[in-house]
Amino acid sequence: MRATASYDRLLADLGATFRPQRHWVEGRGLLLILGHFLSGVGAGTWLFSLWLGYTPGLVLAVAVVAAAGLAHLFFLGHPERFWRMYRARTSWIARGFLGMNVFMAGAVLALLLPAGALRTLCLAVAVAGSAIIIGYKGNVYAASKGVPFWNSPVLPILYATYAIRGGLALLLVVLPLTGGPADAHRLEFLELWVAVSAAVMLGFYLGVMRNTNLAARRSVAELTGGRVAVAFYLGTVGVGLLVPIVVGLAGFAGPLSQAALALVGALSLVGDFFAKYAIAKAGIYVPLMPAGRA
Amino acid sequence: MVIDLKRCIGCYGCQLSCKAEHGTPPGVFFARVIKREFGTFPNTQLVFLPTLCFHCTNAPCVDVCPTGASHYREGGVVDITREECVGCLACTQACPYGARYFNDAPGAYFPGQGLTPYEQAKYSDDNVGIVMKCNFCIDRVTAGLEPACVANCASRARTFGDLDDPGSEVSHLIRLRGGEQLQPELGTHPNVYYLPPA
Repeated sequence: MRATASYDRLLADLGATFRPQRHWVEGRGLLLILGHFLSGVGAGTWLFSLWLGYTPGLVLAVAVVAAAGLAHLFFLGHPERFWRMYRARTSWIARGFLGMNVFMAGAVLALLLPAGALRTLCLAVAVAGSAIIIGYKGNVYAASKGVPFWNSPVLPILYATYAIRGGLALLLVVLPLTGGPADAHRLEFLELWVAVSAAVMLGFYLGVMRNTNLAARRSVAELTGGRVAVAFYLGTVGVGLLVPIVVGLAGFAGPLSQAALALVGALSLVGDFFAKYAIAKAGIYVPLMPAGRA
Repeated sequence: MVIDLKRCIGCYGCQLSCKAEHGTPPGVFFARVIKREFGTFPNTQLVFLPTLCFHCTNAPCVDVCPTGASHYREGGVVDITREECVGCLACTQACPYGARYFNDAPGAYFPGQGLTPYEQAKYSDDNVGIVMKCNFCIDRVTAGLEPACVANCASRARTFGDLDDPGSEVSHLIRLRGGEQLQPELGTHPNVYYLPPA
């Protein structure tokens, strides 16, 4: 019965002028969204933890990127063939795979080795890997010519912004719990700045895509008033941007409590996930024929 | 390949013959006919657009494949090496023509009744969890036959040949009738041309 329902839905999708993309967001596709979300957060956490000299953050970053790798793996139709991605270097997925491996190797070694030249080298390798991880996700989407909404050079910048923000947000959650070398309030202002940047970037992206072509315009309409509107307004805009920015601005009036900072971090993470979810869900394939009579 | 939209009667013969040839499961369409109705009664028009993989010269699906499973064969045919596909679906997102299908778990054409002997013979475990697409019936072409959709087109709307040969029938038709590619602005340079309906 379930197979019949999905077949019927596929036929309906194929008959539609604006065919929604479902592979990368529904069913097992959610694992891909989760993988993209976690990999960005992990890479961002690594960079900021390194900057702050916060070892628990470094360990957490490795764990998060490892979880991201597993999520990617379980998304695949043939996970046991993942190693074949070592071969092709022309695709962004292959680059991301390489980046993730470089990061894991460098980061794990850096955590295990004592201070010295070799550890510094491993740290540098991990930083290079995290930079690839932050950069590749948006480019995977941007390389998808079949989905005009994603096929934009603005998207990789937006995803990189969200990855950096995700790293900061995770640290905001864990720093008050573990204590650390940095004052969480200092990070909070940085988080606020990145949140505002992400909001501006998101608005810019949607503004650009609304004036690109028919399918991209339709995707923007799906985000702002269609089947993705609830996830977008509630998750991406409300929980992910508005509340953290408002709470962050309140921090100018007086220092926020540790709980409030952790809440800002947690909400930012939720928003990061929903940004990726909503953008993926709003994807619509290039229409092959103009709309006919309903 | 050249498809004459003036001749196409929307009989779905290409779609069915393709399925018979390749034994594709439900939900996988190497060849497909899109139908749209335009206008208001009595001035209405039914338009058919038969589609398949366009075997683009600059195929975006090949560029995004992380394993090299999607590749160009000799002669320009875009094909998938089953054993190398990891099922990441990047190619389905990259193809602007919706020509690629993911074979997640091949279902039966008669739900609840199990696989027919034909389905049992045609389905292969090698195809599960990977992306499938038209390969211009490469086995038939190698054997000197036309692709199934061309050979079985009732109105002879499809013509198969060598686009690189200026003397071929396909080149002649494109020149004579003003053959057009679908969405040439994408820069993919599809190797399937449509002859205008009027």
